[in-house]
Amino acid sequence: MRSIIQENDIPIPEGVTVDVKARLVRVKGPRGQLVKDFKHVNMEILRLSKSKLKIKVWHGGRKHNACIRTISSHIENMITGVTKGFEYKMRFVYAHFPINVNIISDGAEVEIRNFLGEKQIRRIKMLNGVKIDHSTAQKDEIILTGNDIDNVSQSAASIQQSTTVRNKDIRKFLDGIYVSEKGLLVKD
Amino acid sequence: MVFSRFVEVGRVVLITYGPDAGKLAVVVDIIDHSRVIVDGPTTGVARQAISFKRATLTDLTISIPRTIGTPALKAQIEKQDLLGRWSKTAWAQKIAKREARAKLTDLDRFKLMVARKQRRAIVGKALGKIRKSK
Repeated sequence: MRSIIQENDIPIPEGVTVDVKARLVRVKGPRGQLVKDFKHVNMEILRLSKSKLKIKVWHGGRKHNACIRTISSHIENMITGVTKGFEYKMRFVYAHFPINVNIISDGAEVEIRNFLGEKQIRRIKMLNGVKIDHSTAQKDEIILTGNDIDNVSQSAASIQQSTTVRNKDIRKFLDGIYVSEKGLLVKD
Repeated sequence: MVFSRFVEVGRVVLITYGPDAGKLAVVVDIIDHSRVIVDGPTTGVARQAISFKRATLTDLTISIPRTIGTPALKAQIEKQDLLGRWSKTAWAQKIAKREARAKLTDLDRFKLMVARKQRRAIVGKALGKIRKSK
């Protein structure tokens, strides 16, 4: 049965400006700007004040109301991305063949060599706004950083999925590059 | 899109279909997601349940308590001058223009044509003066 109205408030912290027009949300903060288009969902997204954003669904069924929280989460992720940034750490796991990772074009592209001794070179381009670096504190680790959580996590997933083992028992051949930590760049 | 015309007690609706089509009425109570109880003592709408398919919301509201009786509603409508406020809106004026045009007789249409010609002449003369002076 439909509810009359369901709404959700999103607090906007200091230093972040959110601009909403026709479900196109623009979030500006110290680390940059993010834009997301929510025209695929029918919702009222209103900026009530400098520090509050309200999302309303009138007359919604179950699935429509569920979208309120997903859109709120998207916007909250944009806000943390623009203030704190996202950092995904990935570890190399290998039994015999050391995985050789080169970072080219200033942290925008990754080359993976010698995965399981294979001659094929895996090249993965990072998505917009994502930078990748070798970890200085830890051996066999790379760190992806960026403002947009969707881009950072998708780039990490592309790397992880590029190092999949074929025609072998994957319980035994555990080689690969796996996401070990999902966190924020600015820790406090 | 941000919504501004809400279904609430006191919202003025324009009935668009049925025997009362074209008349204003006030929402007195809400039944469910698609129907309201509506009453228009000053415009000749009996107190009845009506579906939103037969009406459109307007920008006007009056402040009344829920399930107000018809004579008290009539007093409030007159006190808050609903019909006056409605007639000032562009919407109401467009409806009035449309009705006036539909009622024209042939003689009226002739008079209208002559009046428009006269206006065109005055405007054209002034325009010509401006063009000459440039």
